[in-house]
Amino acid sequence: MWHHPASFFTGWLLICGLLLQGCASYSHSFYPIEQKLSRQDPAGALLELEKQGYASGDQLLYLFNKAMLQRMQADFAGSNQTLEKAKRIIQRYAATSITEESAAFMVNDATRTYIGTPLEQVMLHVYAALNYLELGDHDAARVEILQVDVRLRQLMSDAPNSALSVDPFARYLAGMIFEDLGEYSDAMIAYRKAYQAYQLHNSKLYALAIPPALKRDLLRMARRVGLWDEYRKLRQRFAIAEEEITAAPAGEGEIVLILHNGLAPLKREHDVAVVDPGSGRLIRVSLPYYQDRSNRVRGARLIAGKASQTTETVEHIDAIDHKTLEAYMPAITARAIARAVVKYNMAREAGKQDQLAGVLVNIAGFVVERADTRSWLTLPAKIQMARLRLKAGRYNLSLELLDASGRPVRSVKLGEIDLPKGKRRYISYHYIPPYAQRY
Amino acid sequence: MMQLTQTLPGKALFAFLLLLLGGCGTQVTRVDVEETHDLSGAWNDTDSRLVSREMIRDMLGRNWLSDYINKHQRQPAVIVGTIRNLSHEHINVETFINDIEREVINSGRVIFVASRNQRGEVRSERKDQDTHAREDTRKPMGQELGADFILKGSINTIIDVEGKTQLRYYQVDLNLISLTDNRIVWIGSKKIKKLVKNSKLRL
Repeated sequence: MWHHPASFFTGWLLICGLLLQGCASYSHSFYPIEQKLSRQDPAGALLELEKQGYASGDQLLYLFNKAMLQRMQADFAGSNQTLEKAKRIIQRYAATSITEESAAFMVNDATRTYIGTPLEQVMLHVYAALNYLELGDHDAARVEILQVDVRLRQLMSDAPNSALSVDPFARYLAGMIFEDLGEYSDAMIAYRKAYQAYQLHNSKLYALAIPPALKRDLLRMARRVGLWDEYRKLRQRFAIAEEEITAAPAGEGEIVLILHNGLAPLKREHDVAVVDPGSGRLIRVSLPYYQDRSNRVRGARLIAGKASQTTETVEHIDAIDHKTLEAYMPAITARAIARAVVKYNMAREAGKQDQLAGVLVNIAGFVVERADTRSWLTLPAKIQMARLRLKAGRYNLSLELLDASGRPVRSVKLGEIDLPKGKRRYISYHYIPPYAQRY
Repeated sequence: MMQLTQTLPGKALFAFLLLLLGGCGTQVTRVDVEETHDLSGAWNDTDSRLVSREMIRDMLGRNWLSDYINKHQRQPAVIVGTIRNLSHEHINVETFINDIEREVINSGRVIFVASRNQRGEVRSERKDQDTHAREDTRKPMGQELGADFILKGSINTIIDVEGKTQLRYYQVDLNLISLTDNRIVWIGSKKIKKLVKNSKLRL
């Protein structure tokens, strides 16, 4: 069969095609799940995810997505069980694997066990905390924010000069939880860290507006714990009037709406394939890049009776994703080039002994060269928050999704909730826009 | 492709696959409940058992108990209130409370009354007896023994991280408060320190 050069070539093309199908990049497999999500059908998406299962090494992503789909269906307890499993995976595989690293050096980066980006590891705890808050278990939510603190301190000790070692929303949420529990000095510290993190991200990474609600929280807490010097300085800087920083009057509660808007950018791969003119061998280098996903909805207005409040963006997950990949890119590129050299040499060595084997090794190396396109795809692009202070009582809540010019695009009923005196009620809403593009 | 197995990395890969196959299968070994097994460094059954035993022994060996018995000529009634988990871990506080309750009851030195959660069921049973039980076996309402002291507390942790090494410091605080006048008659504190080293490399 191989005697004829033409049939030999066709045979190889066939095998290549088959092989390529077998290793479609991770982000491709997400398409059917995303389709279900766009139709606001998280239950269907979860079935699809469970049907797909996971490749070895991708268990963490499976658990991340499962937990997110569970919370979209208001199964907060189930979601937390899944997130606990995810934590154990991260703990177990955090150490560098000798065998996986050598495989990554010969095959591709996606052969390594996925343990998440720093942001994803932080968001794991943030979502667990939000789940507990919606279950009304503040003490358990407090456990999560303490774990996030350990995680962030670890990041800081690993990369003290990186702005990606701080996370604004994790700190902001920590402040709110401490405040709910009456631990005011801890709340003050957390709000302060959140403010510093927003400032650092703004100056080093991407442009953002510091949430005005945080400014008021910071001032209210500074006054509460008696940090008068800091209070005066901050009030001057923020130009907020004294009357605006009122503590919640007795008999009032607060509704905290958290909008999980859109889906995080998709990791795609970019290929450079060349034929070495000297030897006729194929060389391929695949690198990942993030592709943002369009979303008309830029925010929302929470409405309870006559009162309403617009959301503020508290975490720019899309922007942080881009910056994280940018920071990793030199190492990823260096590995990809080193891998190309290794593969080239392997093919040459094999070719010395047997020409066919040389071609085989070259093609195998070419085919398995894939970028690592794995990421937590059910994370939102942005986390947005609206806080509405109201008299204790029963409210019928609704949400207006707004476009870039602030016009309502769509109205959503959130149902009735009871707002107890002096308490905060946390509610989540996940919005996934219809995605037209195929990938 | 056969050529690949004859190269050095190829051979290494095959050797590794063989090793992997050897590690398959689930193994179960029964261990004694009293044995200490530290797997992850997190709070575990041994911690819960040892802490509750030591703290209750300390509590029952203090002056407040003999003072109370001398003054009232009877044993005090104690109830366990809330014990808050303020640590970094999702500790099952219920099992810790159960350990404490067991230690207190088995000491035989104080009377122990049912906690808030248990009382509800007992009361509904009494209510049920009121209509369905025989006259001579019926337990009347309003005869409950009120507690003299309430035991409250918290579990705290401080975690220090440096690279792959963690120092976990647990502190369990318990307060015994008189229900008559809010006097704190006993404060107990037990500390545990664990050094957890995670490997930088794995196979």
